[in-house]
Amino acid sequence: MLRLDRRLLQNVDWLLLGAALFIIGLSLVCLWSLNPTRGISSLVWRQISWVGVGLIGLLVVASVDYRNLVRSAPVLYVIGLGLLTSVFVLGRTVSGARRWIHLGPFTVQPSELFKLIFIITLAWALTTGRGERSRTSLIGTFVLLGVPFLLVVRQPDLGTALCLVPVLAAILVGIGIPLKVLGGMTLAGVAVMPLGWFVLKPYQRDRLLVYLDPFRDPLGTAYNVIQAKIAIGSGQLLGKGVGGATQSRLSFLPERHTDFIFAVFAEMWGFLGCLVLIVAYVLLVMRGFEIAAGTREMRGRILALGVTTVFAAQVLINIGMVTGLLPIVGIPLPLMSYGGSSMVVSLTALGLLLSIRMRQFH
Amino acid sequence: MALTTTPANRKEAWGRRVLALAVVTAVGFVGLVGQLWYLQVLEGGRMHELSEKNRIRVRPVAAPRGILFDRNGLALVDNRPAFTLSLIPREMDDRNTVMARLAVLLKMPVGDLLEALERVPADSIRPVRVRRGLTLEEVTKVEERKLELPGVVVEVEPQRVYPNSTFAAHLLGYVREVSDEQMKQGRYRRGDMIGQSGLERLLDDYLRGRDGGERIEVDAMGRPVQVMRREEPDPGAQVITTIDRRVQEVAEQAMIGRAGAVVVLDPRNGDVLALTSSPAFPLDRLTGNLDRDEWLRLVKDPLTPLMNRALQGQYPPGSVFKIVVAAAGLQEGTLAPMDRIYCNGEFTLGNWTFKDWKPGGHGHMDLRSAIAHSCDVYFYQAGLKIGGDTMARYAHAFGLGMPTGIDLGGERFGLVPFSAARPRKRPLQAGETVNMSIGQGQLLVTPLQVARMMAAVANGGILWKPRLVQRVERADGSLAYSSSSKMTERAELSPVVWAFLRNALTAVVKEGTGAAARIPGLEVAGKTGTAQTIAKSDSAKGQDHAWFASFAPADDPQMVVVVFVERGGHGGDVAAPVARKIYEAFFLQKVAQVTIGESG
Repeated sequence: MLRLDRRLLQNVDWLLLGAALFIIGLSLVCLWSLNPTRGISSLVWRQISWVGVGLIGLLVVASVDYRNLVRSAPVLYVIGLGLLTSVFVLGRTVSGARRWIHLGPFTVQPSELFKLIFIITLAWALTTGRGERSRTSLIGTFVLLGVPFLLVVRQPDLGTALCLVPVLAAILVGIGIPLKVLGGMTLAGVAVMPLGWFVLKPYQRDRLLVYLDPFRDPLGTAYNVIQAKIAIGSGQLLGKGVGGATQSRLSFLPERHTDFIFAVFAEMWGFLGCLVLIVAYVLLVMRGFEIAAGTREMRGRILALGVTTVFAAQVLINIGMVTGLLPIVGIPLPLMSYGGSSMVVSLTALGLLLSIRMRQFH
Repeated sequence: MALTTTPANRKEAWGRRVLALAVVTAVGFVGLVGQLWYLQVLEGGRMHELSEKNRIRVRPVAAPRGILFDRNGLALVDNRPAFTLSLIPREMDDRNTVMARLAVLLKMPVGDLLEALERVPADSIRPVRVRRGLTLEEVTKVEERKLELPGVVVEVEPQRVYPNSTFAAHLLGYVREVSDEQMKQGRYRRGDMIGQSGLERLLDDYLRGRDGGERIEVDAMGRPVQVMRREEPDPGAQVITTIDRRVQEVAEQAMIGRAGAVVVLDPRNGDVLALTSSPAFPLDRLTGNLDRDEWLRLVKDPLTPLMNRALQGQYPPGSVFKIVVAAAGLQEGTLAPMDRIYCNGEFTLGNWTFKDWKPGGHGHMDLRSAIAHSCDVYFYQAGLKIGGDTMARYAHAFGLGMPTGIDLGGERFGLVPFSAARPRKRPLQAGETVNMSIGQGQLLVTPLQVARMMAAVANGGILWKPRLVQRVERADGSLAYSSSSKMTERAELSPVVWAFLRNALTAVVKEGTGAAARIPGLEVAGKTGTAQTIAKSDSAKGQDHAWFASFAPADDPQMVVVVFVERGGHGGDVAAPVARKIYEAFFLQKVAQVTIGESG
């Protein structure tokens, strides 16, 4: 299975891989700089080990023909559904949400893994069955994906759920669903949104309100937004460097090594640093679109587009929320945030992209 | 609905749609860069300032105020750490809300808090001290709700602690936060604690020290993370006074329940060993938070506890003045010790009859016995013979009618009437002279002046500037200030006259009106005085001021004790026993100490 022939290796997308490794390098520096006096902390070592696991995942997925993966979608779907359900049984509650389950010494966040399964299932559902995609198969797909989606919402992990919506939209646009149908679905979605208000937990409502008026409660919910904005802004053009990043190091920033790591980075490296990081992400994402565009095979197209948009959506939502453009939903910055599940899943997803790219010319 | 198209078409369409999605994504990234440009470049400066404010707190570290010691190294006043509630205006975004919460929490008027804040700039990082001496319970309340109270801090500040509430109140003085008026001098910073009266005020520049400060980094919860820079405060200098704490305590105890003053001097050098005015004000109530009711009560109290009677109270000296009359008569040759008169209890001058204090009179009297028994009739005649202006000249020579020069503020001059000083230089009338010869009439003295006069009698004429401070030592041990004894005037009398006066004053205690001050084993010399006053009420009883001016031991004077009891009654009955207690405490304990020292 791991047999790689030379033709495949020639088509490895080094630019994509390079951009990803560059971002991971920045992430490690950033995590280290949160506590530079202690040398390389256990935090950094753990992240490095996750990167290792992720790279193995990347290699495995890249060497496997993605079409086999799509074929095993039903199995993956069932596993994913099982994991998501188990969260409610075995899950550990962290800040009001059950998102993690224990697997021996590790805690795994099934909703991260579910992002990949979501895309693979989508690719499978849209390409399998009768050669034609019909309205009924589309509805079937929605039902198929709606169940795990609701489970994620109920955890609640609004961030993950939210970044799946653009993925679905992008894939539907990509496969050429008429705009009339898309428009109708969007309208339906907007119509359902007020109902969603009642589904939201109080803290989620607060976050939305705070997004509308950040100074509603400066020491309460809006605190994160304000502190993150201050951290980012105070980095100014060139940043404060590792030693000067007081906002980050003095724990003004909540979740500073996970969801808010961008604020730490921005404070230390300033606007220019952010620009470099964003350019790396843009390179990565645009490379993903290019792979999607250059793929002739339908399953590969859907997978590539899905992985690229889920990546782009996470980056945009995370940085948008940290810079105060979007409400806070709790979503990691791929390849940057500390966290095993996210790192492993992100690298595996990139492996999928590489796999598609390598097999484009078959 | 069929979604299929031809493959070639399909590929082209797919590419276009992916490009469209890529463009949408790119627009998103451009939006992020725009927001970052806005936050970091356009708003960067402001954000940077905010982040600085976020983490650096400046906290003053109050310098402990210098300690005042007595002559034997006992502390007269000390410091203890106290909790002070402070507000830092710059750390307060919504001061009205925060102040409202604080007011409810500590049951303080919210107006006071806002008023205190309004006196400083809104972006000041210096704490405004709004309340001193918080109880532990109040501190807990504030600390528990720290997060709801941004900009509210509890500082630890050394605060004065006194041996007891009124101990040496007038002498030490109270310490309070600088007032608006004092701020105008430009020497102080708002919130500084400065001495407002007594020695605390006199020596404030030495005692205050210099506040230090520290810049601390705090996290979002306001918890200190590390001290970035700390400047240690310079503690105030230590003051070694001339006071003898034990004597001071005994004097105060003896005066409990009485209005008046006690002055104890060392006649050999003018050191003030004790200085008390009664009733005294509670120092601890005036230090720190000003209790308005307490202040009003003190100001309106008919017994005027805020007045230092020892140097601000002016009273007729009564028979104590007979010392001056005797000195003048003897030195001028108008009186001779051997001259005798017969006292029948009355003295007639024209239409006026002046009575002796003793109904029926004293019988045959010479100068010595007239002093010992305080015979008024003798002195009426003597005064007339000497003349008012001559008596006034001798009064001046003894330092009456002029300030003693003590370093405490507000000293009064007293009044010695003489012809040249009067309107149109109207000569003193005979009746006025007669009144003056027994220390009545317009004559007014302060207890401190009397004490200095007694010291001059004891030491042969030297008028000392009463000394309160021996030296001031900085925290590092270096000398900041020292003062030696200063002689201001000298009363020139012939040695025979001095000897006679001392002898006669000894007789007062041994066989005369001062018998209540008699102590076995210690020869006390003194003079009683009972000064008539204008009656304040119908009851004439107890309206006389009681005096006892004395020194001991008579043959080698080491201590002058002057006791004045306002509207206390007879000097011999009321004032002399107070003096005796002081002598006993000082000399008998000293004897005991010496004995222990020798046996050990």
